[in-house]
Amino acid sequence: MMTRALSRLAPLLACLGLLAIWQAGSLMLNTESFPTAMSAVRAVPSILGDKESLVNILDSLRRMAIAFAAALLFAIPLGLMMGRSRLVASFFNPLLMITYPVPKAALMPIIMLWLGVGDLAKMLVIFLGVSLPVIYHSFQGARAVEEKMLWSGAAMGLSAPQRMIRIVLPAALPEILTGCRTGLVLALITMVTSEMIARQSGAGNILFNALDMGQYDTVYAMIIIIGAMGIGLDAAFERLRSRLVRWSEPGFDIPLSFA
Amino acid sequence: MKVLPSRPDFEADPALARGPAPAMIEIDRVSQTFRTSGRQAHLALSDISLTIEDGAFVSILGPSGCGKSTLLYIVGGFVSPTEGVARVKGRAITGPGPDRGPVFQEFALFPWKTVLGNVMYGPRQQGVKSPEAEAQSRRLIEMVGLKGFENFYPKELSGGMKQRVALARTLAYHPAVLLMDEPFGALDAHTRTRLQNDLLNIWERDRKTVLFVTHSVDEAVFLSDKVVVMTRAPGRIKQIIDIELPRPRRRAELLLDPRYQKYVVEIERMIDDTSEDGLRP
Repeated sequence: MMTRALSRLAPLLACLGLLAIWQAGSLMLNTESFPTAMSAVRAVPSILGDKESLVNILDSLRRMAIAFAAALLFAIPLGLMMGRSRLVASFFNPLLMITYPVPKAALMPIIMLWLGVGDLAKMLVIFLGVSLPVIYHSFQGARAVEEKMLWSGAAMGLSAPQRMIRIVLPAALPEILTGCRTGLVLALITMVTSEMIARQSGAGNILFNALDMGQYDTVYAMIIIIGAMGIGLDAAFERLRSRLVRWSEPGFDIPLSFA
Repeated sequence: MKVLPSRPDFEADPALARGPAPAMIEIDRVSQTFRTSGRQAHLALSDISLTIEDGAFVSILGPSGCGKSTLLYIVGGFVSPTEGVARVKGRAITGPGPDRGPVFQEFALFPWKTVLGNVMYGPRQQGVKSPEAEAQSRRLIEMVGLKGFENFYPKELSGGMKQRVALARTLAYHPAVLLMDEPFGALDAHTRTRLQNDLLNIWERDRKTVLFVTHSVDEAVFLSDKVVVMTRAPGRIKQIIDIELPRPRRRAELLLDPRYQKYVVEIERMIDDTSEDGLRP
């Protein structure tokens, strides 16, 4: 009982511990650029209460959501097709190998030249950031689908496109969702980075404007807000994921001893 | 070969009652060559001809790597032969179809579907309405001994149970031919025996044509009307043996039956005798 209650409280205790260390550290250093945890936390409600800041943050989330959704719609079918067709794989694999290690934010200057500093440029960077891990995991997932499973489907009369949607997609889903989870975190990272480079609106914009103006408690408060967004999105996605692929979860696999 | 008791529908049809049972599967001079990674051509099957009558239980027996599974995949339409042709009910096989239902050693169940979902998959695909497909599937699940496990996921089942589900899933879309690819090969001896018995009981109800690949001599003799013994690579038919043991077969009685023992010993000798193997290219 005690240990269970304790393990439930653990994340909260860890956060409080971190804040305590921060508080102690900043009190000891006592420099202007390192505000105390208390003052940063106290700045959070004032940012969230400010209409303009809220519009900025919602703008960021809107761009992220659209780019994330577009990336999934593009990357999952492409990855699955690569996983099942050697031809498609041999065409796209070299392209992906080149683009994979390039930090997508490094493409931002070029993209800004083409598309300006507006929504489109930022969404394109997020789209690129999300697409690659999702393609990669969809590809791996589709490639690992057992041939005999597809044969079983073919014998039941499923056509090749039906097998793709009704066998390859669900069979690869656990792997696809792992990619999506990585993609979601990358979406948040590229979102902030894009707003840092192309300042105009968004959560990243508030953060870097505050930095320029020396409002350090706002800077730290924004870091807390963005961090909390990341943790919240990830936790929400993880709940969705484990619901969708409950059938594949380990821990649930105690085979019955019965022939 | 005369092992099967005549079936009622055959008696009703004088044309069929007179002649031999109609051919369900014809394998006509089939050869299969695979390209190995080192540009070499590997001859897996060489000039196989075989006719399987409707309602017969035929086992293909041979050492591993003799191409016996490949032969089954050709009949399934999953692999097309390099040479020759395979026919089912007189029509050349060009691809998989619901008239030939496979059961694989690897089970190949859909892990995201429950037991019921797996068994219903085929009938639903064939356009059977959901309530009807469910009722049929529940009966099949009961028949294979899994009543009460309808809502379990494959992951929660043992190997033997998974293979029961796979069998029910295939029977659910009423294939004319069952293609069984070492279906009990991954199971422990006890489970294997139980599944062999249950398979025979199920088969004896409706006498589907079964093509059964195995490397176990006991299993082949116990189950089959005919055992096709193959040579080591390249796979050729060494001999076809009619198993004239009475049905329904009971394992306990059969093990004591000298005729059964004789078949087993005879076939084991045949397999050990490698003098004919791989002499011709």
